[in-house]
Amino acid sequence: MKISSFFAALVGTTLWVALFGLSGAAWPQEPDQQTAPAKQSSIVFSGTVSQLGATSFADVPRSAQTIVVRVDSVLKKPAPVSLKRGDNVTVEVKDTSAFQEGARATFYTDGWIFGSGVAVKELAHEISPAGEEATKAASTGEKVSGHTQEQSDQELQDRLNSSDFVVIGRVTGVHRWTPPKSATPYRITEHDPDWHEAVLEIKSVLKGGKVKGNKMVVRFPARNDVAWAQSPKFEKNQRGIFCLNRDQVSGVPTAKLGGNQVNAYTCLGHGAALPMAEEAHVRSLLKRR
Amino acid sequence: MKALAGSPALGVLLTIAGFLLAWGQPPVLPSINVVDMIPASLSGETNQDSEPFLAIQTANPQIMVASAFTPNPFSNTGKAPLYVSQDGGKSWVLNAITPVPRMTCDITHAMAAGENHPRGDLHAGTLACASSITLEESETNDVSSNTTMNVQTTRGNVDQPFVRALGISSGDRIYVGVNDFNQPNGHTATVDVSVDGGATYKSFPIEARKTMGQDGPSVRPAVAGDGTVYAAFFGWRKFSGTVATSDVVVVRTDTAAPGAIPFQALKDPSDKLPGRLVVKNISIPWSNAPTLGQERIGSTLSIAVDPNNSSTVYVGWADRGNKGDIYTLHVRRSSDRGVTWSKKDLPHTTIRNATNLALAVAQNGVAGVLYQQLSNGRWVTHLVQSHDAFATIQDTILASVPANEPTEQFLPYLGDYDYLLSVGNEFRGVFCANNTPDLGNFPQGVTYQRTADFTSKTLNDGLGNQVAISIDPFYFSVPVIP
Repeated sequence: MKISSFFAALVGTTLWVALFGLSGAAWPQEPDQQTAPAKQSSIVFSGTVSQLGATSFADVPRSAQTIVVRVDSVLKKPAPVSLKRGDNVTVEVKDTSAFQEGARATFYTDGWIFGSGVAVKELAHEISPAGEEATKAASTGEKVSGHTQEQSDQELQDRLNSSDFVVIGRVTGVHRWTPPKSATPYRITEHDPDWHEAVLEIKSVLKGGKVKGNKMVVRFPARNDVAWAQSPKFEKNQRGIFCLNRDQVSGVPTAKLGGNQVNAYTCLGHGAALPMAEEAHVRSLLKRR
Repeated sequence: MKALAGSPALGVLLTIAGFLLAWGQPPVLPSINVVDMIPASLSGETNQDSEPFLAIQTANPQIMVASAFTPNPFSNTGKAPLYVSQDGGKSWVLNAITPVPRMTCDITHAMAAGENHPRGDLHAGTLACASSITLEESETNDVSSNTTMNVQTTRGNVDQPFVRALGISSGDRIYVGVNDFNQPNGHTATVDVSVDGGATYKSFPIEARKTMGQDGPSVRPAVAGDGTVYAAFFGWRKFSGTVATSDVVVVRTDTAAPGAIPFQALKDPSDKLPGRLVVKNISIPWSNAPTLGQERIGSTLSIAVDPNNSSTVYVGWADRGNKGDIYTLHVRRSSDRGVTWSKKDLPHTTIRNATNLALAVAQNGVAGVLYQQLSNGRWVTHLVQSHDAFATIQDTILASVPANEPTEQFLPYLGDYDYLLSVGNEFRGVFCANNTPDLGNFPQGVTYQRTADFTSKTLNDGLGNQVAISIDPFYFSVPVIP
């Protein structure tokens, strides 16, 4: 699912039109900033405030900042989270004076406590006009619930921003690489990465400078230990989009390539290697930088 | 009723009635509870939530914190979560407040006192593994708040933090066993000690002998109520790449506030060096790949001290065992403060093809052993209790689940450890297992928080969609035998 495309459409059209001129909106009204709550929030829902200074289930500390909201429509949520219309959610709000019992609003939130119910922290909200259904977005909201553990646009944008190189390429070879003992202290641990090197043939550079010889050396942990399980494992002939950083992890910043000393790179963490199907998406995000 | 109010006769009648009601009825004893800790609101999750750990607040044992390799449920960049119970383990919630992004790659913790903080004081040692492995020692006064735990110290190049704590009036004392690769001469077995609630830590290497370049990953402290602190570690003397030749070493310090050179109280008669050698030159298989079923093996170690008699201490470990065995558990005992140890394994404690050994001693001196054994294609989780050094035992099977499913997502499959504690007249602990909702897998019964259908033996996400089975953390409590 393309969260970005949904929210671009959602915020760019429906919400923006619907909310333009609303005095109750708690988020800045500039169009670019309108996309911020949707991007940054992991759970978005519209609902009706049912209680102030209360919580919806035990284990959530009650305070003046906590309110209970009955969910009218779920607009965005991670797939594992069980949240549906009619559920009562505890929201820790930023400004209690913004809410009254019976008020309808769209809540842009992050998770807080997950138990028999869900408690969230407000990032922003948009009050719906009296008498109006929660938001027009709510009418299409159920279609977009189901955001999974996949990388959100914001997370991908952050990754692209922090990468030294973003390249499209093909893996031409993979081999084991052992750091020289002079470079790193000898240690035996269950978190040993079991470093391997992949040679990448570069088709195009989406971010970063020119690549000499159109080849790069990428170090990756082959071990399936918990520390490295999220990091991409490279295979010969694999094609994709790779977010690379200069190697500051293995202890040796350079590698041998065709008899030459070159910079070594790493491709670590969840979502650092993307399928080719993401090319247009990545290019559009890079343009926004 | 109104006529009787205030009458002396009322008190007499109530006393007699109460006596009659109570007389002839057995006292209310705690029962065995096993709880799948995944909350209902995360019924759709399919993570490998392995390597569990447990902390119980001293002041109010209803407050507990647990952990596992559970990722942040709502964000890839949000903080790794903790499980929190405020009702003695009947229910658990998830709160993402550790200092580590998304998911830890090692976490242990302890709650020392908490008398001034109803939902504190939790001290944690975590490894963050996003790009490099970094230890953070942190604390919080409220495990239900949405404030990230306060990081008190940070450093790299260490492995397997193992946190124990002792609450005393002048401030929590915290002991963190770590395999510290920053120590010189390969003496990597280390205990980080804080005597001021974690505000400052000082690292004490506890290895005194020549190593092959380092000690084994597991360094385990155990704290008695009188301030005696033991620590056990694997003194690695040789390493072939697949087998570590190791001693099991126990050190001790006798005051809660260590002096200049703590952990020197025990010396081995063979070389007069600090650290009593419980066994020497055992062969420990080291395999960072599925070896015992889908689990890896290599550094299973546990130590427990009698909370009311610090002279009695148990240590357990795993090694190769006999020919044909994969991984065998052993338990020994000392009743003279670690000076001498049983020459052989205690009865009933040489356990073949098993891992995740965790020891604890109850208030009445009963010893408990939690372990998970690969038996006939199943992972069987046992809690064994004994009041006579395992001459006689009570073995309670908490779970018996298929070992071949689900397929491992990463290692460790179930965990490099699980955990056992005692509080009052209960053993409480955590283990991980296949989460198929099948009552046949849980001989003592089980409670699921997440949405489960025990008739069809399937999970669903609470919205009606079926969910694949995975590894979940399970909490249990078992009454201590008299």
